[in-house]
Amino acid sequence: MEPVAEKRGGITRALSDFVADRLPMATRELQAEIEAKLAQVPNQLNEFGYDPFGLSPDWLCKFVLPGLILYRHWFRCRCDGLEKLPAGRMLLVANHAGQLPFDAAMLSTALLMEAEPPRIVRPMGEYFLPRLPFVSIAFARSGALVGTPGNCARMLENDEAVMVFPEGVRGISKTYDHAYELQRFGLGFMRLALETRAPIVPVGIVGSEEQAPGLANLERLGRRLGLPALPITPTFPLLGPLGLIPLPARYRISFGEPLYFEGDGSDEDEAIESKVELVKRAIEALIERGLAERRGIFSG
Amino acid sequence: MLENHEVCGVDVEPWQSAPQGVKVHIVDLRKKKFEDVIRTEKPAAIVHMGMLRPFRSNAGIRHDVNVRGTKQLLDHCVNHGVQQLVLVSSGSVYGAFSENPYYMDEDSPLSASRSYAAIRDLVEVDTLACAFLWRYPQIRTSVLRPVNVLGHSVRSMMAQYLRQDRIPTVMGFDPMTQFIHEADVSEAIALALEHGLQGVFNVTGPGEVPLHTAIEASGGRALPMPEFVMRALFERLFRWGVISYPPGAIDYLKFPNTLSGERFVEATNFRPLFGLEETFDSLRG
Repeated sequence: MEPVAEKRGGITRALSDFVADRLPMATRELQAEIEAKLAQVPNQLNEFGYDPFGLSPDWLCKFVLPGLILYRHWFRCRCDGLEKLPAGRMLLVANHAGQLPFDAAMLSTALLMEAEPPRIVRPMGEYFLPRLPFVSIAFARSGALVGTPGNCARMLENDEAVMVFPEGVRGISKTYDHAYELQRFGLGFMRLALETRAPIVPVGIVGSEEQAPGLANLERLGRRLGLPALPITPTFPLLGPLGLIPLPARYRISFGEPLYFEGDGSDEDEAIESKVELVKRAIEALIERGLAERRGIFSG
Repeated sequence: MLENHEVCGVDVEPWQSAPQGVKVHIVDLRKKKFEDVIRTEKPAAIVHMGMLRPFRSNAGIRHDVNVRGTKQLLDHCVNHGVQQLVLVSSGSVYGAFSENPYYMDEDSPLSASRSYAAIRDLVEVDTLACAFLWRYPQIRTSVLRPVNVLGHSVRSMMAQYLRQDRIPTVMGFDPMTQFIHEADVSEAIALALEHGLQGVFNVTGPGEVPLHTAIEASGGRALPMPEFVMRALFERLFRWGVISYPPGAIDYLKFPNTLSGERFVEATNFRPLFGLEETFDSLRG
């Protein structure tokens, strides 16, 4: 048994060495940079290197690399207001657009690579994600959780940074004629913020709408295929899978002042809605400022 | 336990390695003879862990032993002045679903049979015991729901699964899975008796790892296969009696079914003695 195991290990190691040797120098430097950032984030890993929710920094490091390349060289993200982030628990609330959740990836990358101290963002995902093979593993290892109120509350109580997009599918799959119009917000995030006394950080993202402007959304057909939406963009489905590649619009991510709300998480919808409206307005202001400062969609 | 108490056992088969001083009665839970044992022994406390776990071709027998057997045991407790009952249920009664929150508490619904009909008897036993708990408050009843128990002598489905050399897994899935050593479960039962616990408690061990990590750490090798292949294969092999896992068990290889053991720790100060590595080592040791 042993020699076989050794040989297998040897082959895998040889393969990964082979790949690592051929990666451009710059990529290896990025990898080292990510590792250094991840090492600064406090965590609760067990002896096997996993946190109680399946996050693994070793895996995360590999996921962040393509994200960081996109962040620096494709979307050329520009951040402002990172210094306003509170320490400890926070609920990042952002606008959602662009058909595929690159906005989520860029926001997480910003918090890991640019915030001081670096933070690992815990995304709250849709129910169907853990049902997809491989996506399910990547989902858990990168620190995401199914967005149940229980999971979200537990994360905030652990003083994590939780990211939510209260527009959900309504936001991400809207067509371009509604670009930068905030869709209806769910109320769950506000209830959780009140219950866990977590500050809300409004985030306005500009650029996500132009990465894949939606021309139409064949929602019904999409549902038949088991998808939450089926957007038509200038490149998809025209160019097939290549059409999924986002356009290199320049991203601008603006963080607002943290908002502290007081109240009862189990209040009636009307009471919650008025608070949600304040968050919505804060995000709107950030987006407007970002749009006003933007000179070109691609040049930023 | 043996120092301060007299312990006797009931099983359908003789227990070869029983410790000295432990008398084992060979009777069937469902038979009149079992009541005679209780009448003559007059136990102050009963620990019920006599559930049939392995699946057989005849699901009826399993259901009858587990559900009717438990019901009769509960009746005997009432009729013969038993003061304390500990029922060892299972953490799998909550079910494995993609929408499960992490670390479910004892109030979470017991949904296992929604997708896994073969273990509805365990859910029914648990429910019977919970109803009993409210109905007869004079009997101190506790229902323990331990996470996956591993150990040299454990014949549970998870233990048998991990004991194989090549272990089929669902390609693209690797859920966080919790484990506990058999000796720690014994300790938990002893604590439940000592504290005279009343209520329902999850019992969790030293921690959790992704399933594939558990497979490696316990000395097996994972054999990932696409889900549709696995389902088709398991259905046939189970029907032919080659393997003992019903196809419904596959969900536990895909989705997390993790429990919070906080309530039990608060009530008893329970701390598992065995770490994860020792727990995995105990399987084949």
